[in-house]
Amino acid sequence: MRTDAAAVQERRELDVIIGFLRKIDQHLLVRIARRLINYLSWSGVREAQDLLQFFSPSRRTGEESENLPSETKKGPELLRMTDQIFQIAREHMTPDEILRNVQKWIKDDKSGFLVEAVENQGTSLSEITQFLERYEDMAIDDRELSRGIQVGLRVSLVRRFLTEELDFIDVAKNAIAVGDFYDLVRHVISPPSSHGKLGGKGAGLFLAARILRRSPEVAQELGTIRTPKTWYVTSDGVLDFLQYNNLEDVYNRKYLQIDQVREEYPHLVQVFKSSHFSPEIVRGLSLAMDDFEERPIIVRSSSLLEDRLGSAFSGKYKSLFLANQGTKRERLLAVMDAIAEVYASVFGPDPIEYRSEKGLLDVHEEMGILIQEVVGTKVGKYFFPSWAGVAFSNNEFRWSPRIRREDGLVRLVPGLGTRAVDRVGDDYPVLMAPGQPGLRVNVTKEEVIRYAPRYLDVINLESRKFETVAASDLLKECGPDIPGFRQIVSVCDQDGIHRPLLLDLMENSGQLIVTFDGLVSGTPFLQQMKTILRVLREKMGCPVDIEFASDGKELYLLQCRPQSFSDDAIPVPVPRDLPPERILFSAHKYVSNGRVPDLTHVVYVDPDRYAALPDAEALRRVGRAVSRLNKVLPKRKFILIGPGRWGSRGDIRLGVNVTYSDINNTAALVEVARKKGNYVPDLSFGTHFFQDLVEASIRYLPLFPDEEGNVFNEGFLRNAPDLLASLVPEFADLEGVIRAIDVPAATGGQVLRLLLNAEQEEAAAVFGPPGELADRPGHDARRRTLEAQGDDHARWRLRMAERVAAEADADRFGIRGIYVFGSTKNGTAGPDADIDLLVHFRGTPEMRHDLDLWLEGWSLCLAEANFLRTGLRLEGLLDVEIVSDDDIRKQAGHAGKIGAVTDAARPLLLKKRSPGQPEV
Amino acid sequence: MKSSFNPFEMAQQQFDKAADVLELDQATRELLRNPLREYHFNIPVRMDDGKFRVFRGFRIQHNDSRGPCKGGIRFHPQETVDTVKALSMWMTWKCAVVDIPLGGAKGGVICDPHNLSAREQEAICRGWVRQVARNVGPINDVPAPDVMTNPQHMLWMLDEFETIHGGRYPGFITGKPVGMGGSLGRTEATGYGVVYTLREALKLIGVDIQKTSAAVQGFGNVSQYAVRLYQQLGGKVVCVSSWDQSDQTSYTFRKEEGVDVDALLAITDHFGGIDKAKAAGLGYEVLPGGAWIEQDVDILIPAALENQVTGDNVGKIAPRVKVIAEGANGPVTPEADKVIKQKGIFVIPDFLANAGGVTCSYFEQVQCNMNYYWTQAETLQKLDEKMTAAFHAVAELAKKRKLYMRDAAYVISVSRVAKACRDRGWV
Repeated sequence: MRTDAAAVQERRELDVIIGFLRKIDQHLLVRIARRLINYLSWSGVREAQDLLQFFSPSRRTGEESENLPSETKKGPELLRMTDQIFQIAREHMTPDEILRNVQKWIKDDKSGFLVEAVENQGTSLSEITQFLERYEDMAIDDRELSRGIQVGLRVSLVRRFLTEELDFIDVAKNAIAVGDFYDLVRHVISPPSSHGKLGGKGAGLFLAARILRRSPEVAQELGTIRTPKTWYVTSDGVLDFLQYNNLEDVYNRKYLQIDQVREEYPHLVQVFKSSHFSPEIVRGLSLAMDDFEERPIIVRSSSLLEDRLGSAFSGKYKSLFLANQGTKRERLLAVMDAIAEVYASVFGPDPIEYRSEKGLLDVHEEMGILIQEVVGTKVGKYFFPSWAGVAFSNNEFRWSPRIRREDGLVRLVPGLGTRAVDRVGDDYPVLMAPGQPGLRVNVTKEEVIRYAPRYLDVINLESRKFETVAASDLLKECGPDIPGFRQIVSVCDQDGIHRPLLLDLMENSGQLIVTFDGLVSGTPFLQQMKTILRVLREKMGCPVDIEFASDGKELYLLQCRPQSFSDDAIPVPVPRDLPPERILFSAHKYVSNGRVPDLTHVVYVDPDRYAALPDAEALRRVGRAVSRLNKVLPKRKFILIGPGRWGSRGDIRLGVNVTYSDINNTAALVEVARKKGNYVPDLSFGTHFFQDLVEASIRYLPLFPDEEGNVFNEGFLRNAPDLLASLVPEFADLEGVIRAIDVPAATGGQVLRLLLNAEQEEAAAVFGPPGELADRPGHDARRRTLEAQGDDHARWRLRMAERVAAEADADRFGIRGIYVFGSTKNGTAGPDADIDLLVHFRGTPEMRHDLDLWLEGWSLCLAEANFLRTGLRLEGLLDVEIVSDDDIRKQAGHAGKIGAVTDAARPLLLKKRSPGQPEV
Repeated sequence: MKSSFNPFEMAQQQFDKAADVLELDQATRELLRNPLREYHFNIPVRMDDGKFRVFRGFRIQHNDSRGPCKGGIRFHPQETVDTVKALSMWMTWKCAVVDIPLGGAKGGVICDPHNLSAREQEAICRGWVRQVARNVGPINDVPAPDVMTNPQHMLWMLDEFETIHGGRYPGFITGKPVGMGGSLGRTEATGYGVVYTLREALKLIGVDIQKTSAAVQGFGNVSQYAVRLYQQLGGKVVCVSSWDQSDQTSYTFRKEEGVDVDALLAITDHFGGIDKAKAAGLGYEVLPGGAWIEQDVDILIPAALENQVTGDNVGKIAPRVKVIAEGANGPVTPEADKVIKQKGIFVIPDFLANAGGVTCSYFEQVQCNMNYYWTQAETLQKLDEKMTAAFHAVAELAKKRKLYMRDAAYVISVSRVAKACRDRGWV
């Protein structure tokens, strides 16, 4: 309880402050009194309302002429009123309350210059920086300000430095304080009178780091979460660079033909690299290089368009690792060289093409630069983090029914995180679900070994290059020198895989493989990941994906963005009002997000017929037949549906006996669990080759046809025309057990589309006309363009194939017919596809020789043309198979495609028909 | 549930064939066609999230007339009693063919370790032992690792068993790490065993091993040690094959003057895949995976996977081939087996050729029971004696009764078990 003495004391303090203000800053006192009376009036104090009217024009209208200006209150009068106001306040408020408000208003008042500066769009960043520095000296915490001023100030600062994006500002205003900018502005490099921003990547990281720093639970579990030392070049740095070097005309290059852009791009890069930066930028970079010393750095783009388009766009610009070794001058030149190269990538053909499709060509792309210290340690001649990776709030690749989507997913690798971010094809990251730390993807010794990371990305400090090295070599060479080594590796010997005791490492017994078992069971790493993901998701209001790295001791956050930006995570609306005949199947369990477009074939292994096969050999033949179909059907255009566990090894009645290479061309793998008596068998969730599916983006879906509300159109699967015998005649005896269905042929030209929506736990395979866009979500824009491009690549190839045929002198070369097949014919060719041609040849060896030369010439020319269109270097574009009459009769190899039942090769018109028609 | 083929019925049919050759009486057939004892039980486990789940466990003891039962414990989500029964019967024959004094058993739990944390798996292991602690043990029934179980699981089980019985019983379970009661020589056992039988087979058909050459499929544990020992004995291995992870196919690595295991191991990744480019640099020809079978050699050793010699490729076997030693389980399909039989190639059937593994498990148990451990050389010496004796017993029967080696091996093991049952006065 407050004592009277304390109250007296407070009253005295108030008097002193008012007296003091009256002496040194009367204007301030008047402004405060004005706010006080407003405050009292809002609080419903009668006297205050009366007194307030004294100021109001309405009161004066009666006494003064409308034509005369209102009488200006003289100083003494105002001061008298001030006393009056304080008197009223004393009657209605405690001295403590008045004092607190007065202090707050004084601080508001002192912040006025900053508010003005940031709200005035004319103020440049360097001016704001100066104001911020002055403000910092005043040591005002923005939480001491009135809410309105506080939020206004924060919003304005976020706007000026980070982004205009409203959702972002809404989150940021609660998480970022004015004080957070003090340190930031000291690391911002900008041209004179800059109005630039940090860009998406810089802003995202800045915000996430503040959120985590302010979260009490994170502090409790993690201590402080770190971010690497970062310097920023503002987004208008690129404009400054162009102006300084009189390169403004590159802006017009984007309106050129795309092949011209591509052709000139290497020269443009050279021009950029030999240009100079303005003195202000050089000065800034010089400071930065002093700050970084000889630690390796990464120069990343941080585009403003990322805010609008998502990460789909960010990938188009460059990120460059620099070893950052040598003299200051060398290091400064290297970083400028890198920034110039990143700037040049703004004018690269891929981003320009992409922007042109999005209708954003006319926007001047501004791109910030992030110069970030690389997290890690020097081990031998290499520099790298002990581990790094990406983590997602939502797990879209669940390997066990016990893992919920919100349990999250971590992709972890030793060394630089580049190998976790990208899917590298020949290597695997270690996958974990932070919400279910005990459930690992790989359980048996063989699985753990097979899917262990095999390479590390590192920076070689001697050659000053980014390199990929074999994990086994590096671990053997300098294993124990790597911080956290025992958290990274396990020892594999005849007794299994164990976390290393020190003895193991000294004796060098057994093989070292990367498992991160020590990190999972011996450290709070996964718990930290879980907390970070949860806090960010809560505060940002959406699932996130983050990049992180560790030097073996501390965890660093490298990037943070909404997860919906990543390709795998886009939920696709599943239409509900479809007539049943348009649905092949639907599912409501263990659904991930995504969409598999335009499937042309379905391979269905009939569960009943499969179970009824007489012996193990017959069951195994089913696996081999699937493997054959996997080779002959168009890649990623078919779907495999079968009973139980794909990839069964032991009791193969429970699922088809295949390995990953037998199914690696499918677009999706579907397991059907039919009720047997009163139990439903367990499904595999693809465990036998789970990580292969993940890295290849092959979708997995379990079906439970006997559960309420699920559609399973067995009629179609059993009755649609079956092509098994004609596709793989050697397995014709399995007719009915395996059915290969040509969807367009069976449905009058429709294709099958797999729509997956994890938010609603709904999935459906839907028939529809090919290329139909209506059921695609609005923000799935990137996919659409890629597909549109796909069509375009195929169309161009078909046109070229027709040209080749039209130019071919049939008599001179002994050609009986030319056919196109594969991705060009099917309209699915991508930018790196070749054109598959069958040439039916009946001529002399000399003719054959001429023909080969002639075709090779075409192939090289078309490859060059394709390079100009797409930027992809291929050795030749034509993949020609010369077939004889005999081949066609025997239907050998691809000759079987001529007049085939499904996916037949298409004949092309020749220049001059030989007397005989092509034998179609 | 209608099932098309039942592994247990298949095992019974196989037994019936041998029983016919032996002209076994009805009672013996009935005794051996079915397991002596079956234990089916529940294993309740408190899961990590606090909920309980009940798992189904089994132990099937097929026959213990010749000694304590021996057999693995499998963790498999689709485990069925019929599979376990079939495998327990197979263990009886496998122990009998090498003439070790053990019977056959098999056990399992219906579960998928992919869906279980390590702690939950430990609880299942301990729960399994609690349910059958009175019915298993060093003098009753000795478990071992099998599908999806490993030495760690064995140690949890051992610890639970010893806690219940209040003592140290390392002979309760095999497959333990060396130093925790495991036996030295286990790594070499299967590969060496293949070559011990091969050596005897060559003696029998009068071929000097020093003048022979062999083609080996696979480059795993079995294959590596088989190649080493065979080359120590003077033979020449012209090729091995291995699976290439990145190409998703296998390759055969051929060197006419003989492969060098150590040189190849130095360029082999964790997955057992040999580096193609480096191998070529060492002077190896890199051929398609199937090329091992068509080599012009005296001996073929398929030591990779099941069903590798099929009706499709059996015709490619060179006329010079005299012996096939089956290092893998079931490498030859029945279709191919008929052709091999016709060609008169001498076959050392899988459950004889690769019995080195189970023999070494027996040695582990023996050492544990006396709590005295042999050196590696001692273990391998004893392994040689066992395998050699086992081979000659089978070969002699094959000669005397004019049986195919595969059938002879089967007949001899069934007859040994049948005799033990008769001598005990069971039937």
